[in-house]
Formats: sequence, structure tokens, C-alpha cells
Amino acid sequence: MSFYTINSLTFSYAGTDKLFQNISFDIEANQHIGLVGPNGCGKTTLVKLMLGILRPQGGEIYLEGNNIKDISLSDVGKKVGYVFQNPDKQLFCPTVLEQMRFSFTYGGCGSAEAINDNTDYYLKAFDLMQYKSLSPMKLSRGEKQRLALASVLSRDVRFLILDEPSTGLDILRKKQLENCLMELKQEGKGYMIISHEAKFLDRYVDRLLKLHAEGVEYA
Amino acid sequence: MKIDPRTRIILVFLISSAAVVIKELIPLLFLLLLTLILCRMFSVHLSGSIKRLRKLLYFFIILALIQSIFTPGEETLIAAGGLKILTTEGLEAGISIIIRMSVIILSALIIASAPAMDVVYGLIAMKLPYEIAFMVLLSIKFLPLFREEFADSIIAVQLAGADLVKIPLRQKLSLYTYVLTPSVIKALNRARLISLSMEARGFRIYPDRTSYCKLSMSRMDYVTITAASAAVLLIISYNFSIIG
Repeated sequence: MSFYTINSLTFSYAGTDKLFQNISFDIEANQHIGLVGPNGCGKTTLVKLMLGILRPQGGEIYLEGNNIKDISLSDVGKKVGYVFQNPDKQLFCPTVLEQMRFSFTYGGCGSAEAINDNTDYYLKAFDLMQYKSLSPMKLSRGEKQRLALASVLSRDVRFLILDEPSTGLDILRKKQLENCLMELKQEGKGYMIISHEAKFLDRYVDRLLKLHAEGVEYA
Repeated sequence: MKIDPRTRIILVFLISSAAVVIKELIPLLFLLLLTLILCRMFSVHLSGSIKRLRKLLYFFIILALIQSIFTPGEETLIAAGGLKILTTEGLEAGISIIIRMSVIILSALIIASAPAMDVVYGLIAMKLPYEIAFMVLLSIKFLPLFREEFADSIIAVQLAGADLVKIPLRQKLSLYTYVLTPSVIKALNRARLISLSMEARGFRIYPDRTSYCKLSMSRMDYVTITAASAAVLLIISYNFSIIG
């Protein structure tokens, strides 16, 4: 059984032509996939469907064999970590530290010691320690992106979906992201990255999933 | 047929004012019927709007219940001991408030279904200072912006593993407080960015603006306004004839 099974997926936004029609593919839990395609082809929409944020007009999406429409968003979130394309949409806590600890506090997982260690590790890894008592809204675009990445990477999820994770990161911080991706690979965790940076994808993904008007195909 | 935005504004002003003035149930029903006819005429997508407004249904029901219970009356429908809980007059008042709110919301849809810029042009043509007309536009846009920000934050909260159904009430309340403040700030920031981008394009640089859009009222506009005004006046006079 695949981690994700997408079966004859059809979707369109109200009043527009069909974005996808009958697309099907599988993703394994330990796969490292790059999702590519031209602007507006529906990459982020596909991810939102895979997370259960949007509902398809046709076809099914199965997560570990269960239809995504029967799983609550919080249960999807416990299995799949998602870094939003726009970090502003992801950050809602009053401080950086609370944002990092949110999943542990409200998701109810991990001991206090493990939470502290994990939080500190990722705050250091993304150079955010000095901002931990600041409001996420006071951070720059790049810092927000790092916080969004750190808060998702610190969680013990089986699979990650990263929507343009390197946007707004300088060379040093991109290197830090790359280190984290290497760690995820070593831990046997899978991920899917949406990106337009071919070199970045070449280094960190095993397969490319190409999305275009006619459908989807593995390259 | 293209209807002038000023016609929409005048009609909404007429109907919403009438909804406040009319107190009796039957005239209010007539006003609701007139509003529905106008919505149909202006191609308002009623089923979609009603679906979106379904969330307000509980608010309407609570409002109607409070109104029913606290309106005094002679004919008792429900009583507990010697205490009158619901009277015929109270029930009428409750139903009236639901109809009145529906009329106001449906009439607002007549403006909301027009392109936002058309409404601005209409307000400017009605001699409203253009700065204020654009402020109206921004304030109309603020609520959907806030709703979008709030919905995004709720999705982010759930994807971070918080189960909004299962968590205890106290945690749920603190969580909503968490989400509400940044949502307001983000919506305000987006409104501020819109205003900055407008100013960057020369907004308010001169006291007057030249517009390519020249509005002109057609015979259809005048007929619609006259007919709707006559209908509203008839309904109002019927209301006062009932009151006696």
C-alpha cells in the first residue's frame, strides 16, 4: 500500500476550466519527489487536495489507504508536515517559541524534555534563537520562511510537503535547509518539494513529478 | 442590460431604510418579496449567497428568540408558572426581525454583486468625495480579507496537529484568541498594502480625478428607480394604515 494514492483526480475552481482531469499517481512514504510545472498549472492546488484542504470534484485521494475526505485535517497534519508557499499563512502564534511548540502543546505529543530539545535544535539550526520571544509578524520574509520550515521540520511526521521552501532564503540558510533535507533522507522520511529551482531539485529529489495541462507524469 | 451603479445604490438605500421604518409583519413580507424580485432582476446569485449566509442562521434564531421572549404581549403562547415566556406579539416580533435582517442582507447583495469599481464610480458620480468612495471600497474588501486570513489560520492550526473538535473548551478558546489577533493584523496589513500601492500610483495627488468611466442613466434606470420607489411607498403606507 502506497503512502499516497491519487486516483483519477479531477478538479476545477468555480467558474473556470478543469485544472486537472483524471490524474493518477502514487507516492511512497520514503520517496523524495520534486513537483514541477509552469506557473498556474495547479501545483499548490494539487497539494491542497492531497492535504484535504480542498475537495476534488472527481476521483479519490488515499493517505495510508484511507480516503482523505474521511480524515480530519489535524489527523492529516499529524502524518504530513506542510510548509505553506506563503509563510504568513502558517504563522499565527504570539511568539516564535510558541509557534515552535504549538504542535506539541495542542497536538499532544512528546515529553517536555524532548519538546525543549527539539525546539532548541531547530531554532539553532535556522538561526532563530535570538528571535524566540519576538512576534513572528515582526520577522522579515526570509526569517518567517525559516520559522515556518523549523516549526514543520521539528515535528515527527512521516512525510513532508514543502511548497517553494527555498524562496526568500539566502545562500547560508539554503544550505541549512539542504542539511535538514539530508537528515530527513537519512531518517528514512519522505518529502515532496515544489520548486522552480532545477539545481536544488536535482540534488535533493529522486524523482520529478511533472504537472501540465494534459495531466501528470513521472520524469 | 447594463444598469447604472447609482441605480443599485439608490435602491439599496430605499429598501434598507424601508426595512427599518416598517414594523408590521405583512408589509415586511411584501418588502422581502420586492427585494427578491430586484435581486433576480440584478442577477444576484441567490443560492450561493444564501449558502454562505447559512452560518449566520444561528445568530438570527438567537436574535429572534430574544426578541420573542422580551416583547410584551397579551395573548400567551408559552408560560411557566405565572411568567409569560412567549406571546403572539413576541413571536411576530421575532419573525419580523428575521425578515428585516434578510431584507437588509439581500438588498446589500444588490450592491455586492456589482463590480467593486462600478460602486466607486457610482458613489463619485453621486458627488461623494473620491477618497471616501475608495474608503468604502476598502472597507467592503476588509471583511472578505479578514475571513480569508482567519480561515487560513484555522487550516494552519489544524495542519499543525490541533484537533478543534476534540480539544477541551479552555484550550479551544485560547486557540481562537491565538488566531484572531494575527488574523486581524494580517487583514489590516493587507488593507494597508492596498492603500500604499494606490498612493504609489498617484492616489490623492490631485484634488480631482479624471475617469475614463462616464456613467449615464438610461431610461431603464429611471423606470426601475420609479417603480421600486412607488412599490416601497405603497408598502410603507400599507404599514401605517395597519398601525392606524
